[in-house]
Amino acid sequence: MKWRKLNYKLHRDIGYLCIGMTLIYAVSGVAVNHISHQFNPSYTIEKAVTSIEPVVSNKEPDLSLVRDILAQLEETGKFKSVVMISPGAMRIFIEGKTIDVELTSGKVSQEKVARRPILYEVNYLHLNKPKGIWTYIADVYAVLLGLMALTGFLMIHGRAKKRGYILTGVGLMVPLFYLVCSL
Amino acid sequence: MKKTTILLLFFFSLSLPVCAKDLMLGEKITLNEITKVSEINAQPEKYLGKKVLIVGIVIDVCAARGCWMDISSDEPFQKIQVKVVDGEIIFPLEARGRTARVEGMVEVLELSREQAYRYAKHKAEEQGREFDPAEVKGPTKIYRIRGLGAVIE
Repeated sequence: MKWRKLNYKLHRDIGYLCIGMTLIYAVSGVAVNHISHQFNPSYTIEKAVTSIEPVVSNKEPDLSLVRDILAQLEETGKFKSVVMISPGAMRIFIEGKTIDVELTSGKVSQEKVARRPILYEVNYLHLNKPKGIWTYIADVYAVLLGLMALTGFLMIHGRAKKRGYILTGVGLMVPLFYLVCSL
Repeated sequence: MKKTTILLLFFFSLSLPVCAKDLMLGEKITLNEITKVSEINAQPEKYLGKKVLIVGIVIDVCAARGCWMDISSDEPFQKIQVKVVDGEIIFPLEARGRTARVEGMVEVLELSREQAYRYAKHKAEEQGREFDPAEVKGPTKIYRIRGLGAVIE
């Protein structure tokens, strides 16, 4: 078998193998590229401010007070825990929700957190949260991408030779130009 | 059909760590003795550079990258921050309100006035509140734990 034919078959089959992973990394890549304090690519975070009756009692805050606050908020989610973060501020944790209560004013700040469907899973893999064996799977994928690039480069010949070199050059120049301008 | 089953099992096995009840992150916990957060806060210099195991409720988690979490103390109104290298460990937002066992080294951040200003501004941005420059009084020291491993129960 001629080396060009072998190279073509390698490029084609590695391409098939990489379709799934490339889609995962492409979708997640765009999402994690825009991480900021205003955008979490894996979770939706909804904030809301409401109020309850101010707590004027002098007695120590207890679970009955928590139950009363949750009842006022008509909160039915599963209770996780509660922490007094300052003498006048209580933080209540409900499954998927954090509720901050300023006892004397009755001001309530709620933060609802939910996993973004699909994005949570693809980011979980892209950011290598599972660690362990996934680290090696991702390494193999990176090597396969390298091979894709190499076999792709070796495919440049014939009538499209000039175009192949120009496009490869452009692809290399974009990051190099950016580095030169930004460093 | 057989291939599909194997593929499904493979992807299911990947999702197991997400579903696990106790979430283990980073290195395995090696210490047995728990150090109270209040003790570290009271005498931070005594624990500086030492490996400790703390237990508490996760009060907050970095909403952008999951690179830190605040752990409640055994004393009311106190907490300590656990910071990890970005990407090495990612604390999930679901950890809020759950009990965490964290092993790590006690470290200090010594900030000049300018650094303290930037740090306070960054914290205000993270918490989505307005930054008040008056809260920066001058150079400051922040004691925290460089997290090595954690179990979120």
